[in-house]
Amino acid sequence: MTDKYQFTEDGFLLSRRRFMAVGAAILALLALPVGWLGNRIAKRNEYIKARADALYMDDAIAKYRVSHANPAIARYYSEFGGEPLGHLSHELLHTHFVDRTKLKS
Amino acid sequence: MHQDNRPILKHPLNVRVFHYILLLSFLPLAATGLLLFFKPLSDSAMGLTYDIHIVAGVIMALDAVAFTLMAFDRVVLFTNRVFTFGGNDVGWFKVLGGYPQKFLLGKKVAVPPMRKYNSGQKLFGVCVLLGGTALIITGLALWLVPYAIPRDTAWLLGMIHLGCGLLLTAFLPVHLFLAVYRFDDFKAMMLHGKVPYHDAAEYTPLWVQEEVVPVSSKHAE
Repeated sequence: MTDKYQFTEDGFLLSRRRFMAVGAAILALLALPVGWLGNRIAKRNEYIKARADALYMDDAIAKYRVSHANPAIARYYSEFGGEPLGHLSHELLHTHFVDRTKLKS
Repeated sequence: MHQDNRPILKHPLNVRVFHYILLLSFLPLAATGLLLFFKPLSDSAMGLTYDIHIVAGVIMALDAVAFTLMAFDRVVLFTNRVFTFGGNDVGWFKVLGGYPQKFLLGKKVAVPPMRKYNSGQKLFGVCVLLGGTALIITGLALWLVPYAIPRDTAWLLGMIHLGCGLLLTAFLPVHLFLAVYRFDDFKAMMLHGKVPYHDAAEYTPLWVQEEVVPVSSKHAE
């Protein structure tokens, strides 16, 4: 075959309108997944933030925000438990750690 | 019988360069992708496989981005071609281009006339455009920002990457076989860009009739 060619495609075959439509479709096809992914990344902590906001909101509107202001706790100590960190309270309320990691294996 | 060997420029230089880089990057990508999926090697060998996959993937991504930016008109033209389906394509798929009859039975059946790409090439083109784009976007995201992506999204991207990779890898042996079988077209893509008139008239008659014109010598390469 010779180095030169004798035939080629007849210029650009698409109309301007068609070119713009197909070109726009290509750009949209590229932009949509990139935009979707960027949006997912930008909103990746939204659930955690919403949960934290809800906890802070619950705290802000709570009637009793500290345990020593809770009348039920005060009544427990006055009528039953004696005093905070007392012997009975320690027996009843103190929790003990039990290593159960061996149970997993 | 005399054959008309006058050359028609089918694949311009920028397309050939793009195709070469795509070829040289996708072959290692397909091989290392399968190795990464089945994990048959030692840890250090899998690490090397991963590095090769990343380097080849970056080369393929740069190739695709550069070609899209530098030859956007060719990308639009190719997209328009591969997404244009009609009655001839239905007829082509009914006989699968006549290839099975030719290879298995030694018979030649009538095939509807095609434009620059036949219907199988158009289907492959659609898969390359959509699947290749998905592979590049998901691959870059999973490589560059894996910990910034929510877990379910990362899993989805991984599945898309795997599915598109397997699809295009499955196409690869068919593409290679038929590319070598159409040897004039193979030489055009791999070497000089030109096909002889008789080959184009046989396989792509509508392209020759409606889209190909003679050129004056001053426009020729």
